[in-house]
Amino acid sequence: MNAIDAPALASVSHPTVKALWSENNPKFWRELGLCSLRASSFAEVLPLSTIRKRAVKQGLEHPDGATPVALKLAIVGGCSLFPFHDLTEHFLAVAPCGGFRTDLFLGDYDNYVSEILEADSPLYQFAPDVVVVIPAFQRCRYQGRLFDPANAAREQAQQSATQLLDLCRTLHERSKSEVLLVNYPLLPYFDPGPYRVRTLASDWSFRKQVNIELGLRAQPYVNICDLEFLSAQRGTLASTDERGWFESKQPCSADLQVDLAREVAHIVSGLRAGPKKIAVLDLDNTLWGGVVGDDGLDGIVIGDTSPRAEAFKSFQHFLKTLPERGILLAVCSKNDEDKALEPFEKHPEMVLRRGDFVSFKANWRAKSDNIREMARELNLGLDSFVFIDDNPAEIEIVRQFAPEVTGILLGSDPALYAREVMNARLFEPRTITVEDAERTELYKQEAQRQTLESSFADMDSYLESLSMKCVIAEFRPVDVPRIAQLIGRSNQFNCTTRRRTEAEVQQVIDDPAYCAYTMRLEDRFGDYGLIAVVVARVEGALFLIDTWLMSCRVLKRQVEEETVNEMVRLAALRGCNRIRGVYLPTKKNGMVRDLYPRMGFSTVLDQPERREFDLVVSAYSPTPTKITVLGRAALVGAETTARGNPAA
Amino acid sequence: MTQASVLAQLQSVFDDVFLDKVTVTADLTAKDVAEWDSLIHITLILAVENRFGIRFRAGEIEATHNVGDLANLILKRMPS
Repeated sequence: MNAIDAPALASVSHPTVKALWSENNPKFWRELGLCSLRASSFAEVLPLSTIRKRAVKQGLEHPDGATPVALKLAIVGGCSLFPFHDLTEHFLAVAPCGGFRTDLFLGDYDNYVSEILEADSPLYQFAPDVVVVIPAFQRCRYQGRLFDPANAAREQAQQSATQLLDLCRTLHERSKSEVLLVNYPLLPYFDPGPYRVRTLASDWSFRKQVNIELGLRAQPYVNICDLEFLSAQRGTLASTDERGWFESKQPCSADLQVDLAREVAHIVSGLRAGPKKIAVLDLDNTLWGGVVGDDGLDGIVIGDTSPRAEAFKSFQHFLKTLPERGILLAVCSKNDEDKALEPFEKHPEMVLRRGDFVSFKANWRAKSDNIREMARELNLGLDSFVFIDDNPAEIEIVRQFAPEVTGILLGSDPALYAREVMNARLFEPRTITVEDAERTELYKQEAQRQTLESSFADMDSYLESLSMKCVIAEFRPVDVPRIAQLIGRSNQFNCTTRRRTEAEVQQVIDDPAYCAYTMRLEDRFGDYGLIAVVVARVEGALFLIDTWLMSCRVLKRQVEEETVNEMVRLAALRGCNRIRGVYLPTKKNGMVRDLYPRMGFSTVLDQPERREFDLVVSAYSPTPTKITVLGRAALVGAETTARGNPAA
Repeated sequence: MTQASVLAQLQSVFDDVFLDKVTVTADLTAKDVAEWDSLIHITLILAVENRFGIRFRAGEIEATHNVGDLANLILKRMPS
């Protein structure tokens, strides 16, 4: 075969990108990003990287004035870092999150150990945000004999992993940077034959063992760039370049460097971007084959009856695993609701059931509207949504009218659906917490509540139906961590935004001049836990509200009214005749600007940076609510105050 | 394939690698191009190999003195 016909000669010239660039068209950046995302070889990425550099040099503006995030990235390693650094810079620049403008530091060839160990090395003077460490692959070999017992090689593998991770610890402690540690690629050599896997002494097994030790022992600030996986995915033969090593100390083939650079950009973006929280799924030809509205319950393709039916069922099995890692599932389908629900309720082969979804929108409205509504109902940011559909028109509508949502367009073969979703890389866990697993439950309760709310004629009967129960309590030592957490995190429903550490919360408990209480709420759908905090200071006859904050999840539940009822009760018990509320405006707490007047307080001071409100205790009668109060705050330190302050 | 046709294809490789326009001729050398340092040289050789679907052998590139030599080497490595 003539080399001219070889695939390597195929056009990789990206005509659209080039045309947009020469027109100075801002659409260039999006097209460049898409092409880079699709590009899988060095030959494809190189021209894109060059065009990007030319565009930057010419000052071709990003659309909408989007400015890339500045990033100080250092790369050190046991190999030549060229052209790897160029590829990395490129993938960071076109990252889907908006891109990074990289300030690069490159270590000297195979000098990474001393660059990390010497405290005054140029690496630390550079003050990187992120450091990529590529260890010397050539030194990852078992120092012993092929027929040594497995334990000897295992110990050595543990040792090499520990040494590398110790190096990473020093690096992190000195630079405070995130560390990306590249592990070892697999090799394409048959030798020593089938014995390869019966020992840990072969290069093949030893590398895998070191990689396992690295992964299991890595500290939280170490992100492993799994080059072992990448080399396997690309193929070890296509990943290896012996001549490149001898000629210019290339760590691996140029194509594998593309994979590695993309991985670095993916991890760096992931460190900064918010995680995806919810997958919104289409139904017809996404969860099953066919159209349930036309084909009927018996006509849809799902189950074990045909290859296509099996593929859809297998996709459902995959989706069912997402909630385990804290990803919520929802449905958004153009269908009549009763028809859309039927398979979930009646089809025996369905893996997913109605209960697996926190929201189920089957109607004829635009999907972008449905998703926006879902975001409001579940109180989730649109940017945490992923929308999965087989119809390019639906993906495009959502892209246009809810651009914060990330879309995954499924291809034409259901056998590949799970792979397509997995390789979109949107649901990769960072760490799994118990809370993640419980979150699905929480959101499901919220959605049920919302449904209930919209089906009631009036708010009162809705609140009545919730059977809310509340426990009010004085600050207790056992609640201190949660109180401090709420004080630290609440921004919106927070009248004064005064932060307090756990120690300072403890001081409030110990100081009899304070009167502080918490509220817990539950209703028939679930327990919200501790959701409101009030700290008051008794100043003679004045009950001064130092802090009043509440979790926004319980807004419009009459918790505010019960909070004031308790406030008045406690003020009276402490011998105060006036309560004063204070509002200190911030960028985020606009929702409580008029809270006190709404609760019957009168405004006594109205300045841009401070508002004050008074309530006369004797003139107040408790507001009736639909909340059953199961317990109230005990009066702590009142007697002390009474003794210490004769005026009270 | 002739040296001339290889040079013509090399032009598009050079366009992909260098930011500024470089006109490929047989007697062009690295010294003539400001951007062409030892590091971008690595990229250039990888791009050449990719474009022509060939692999040079260790040390062969070092022995070339100008783009004409490189073109001849490419011809030598291309399967006939």
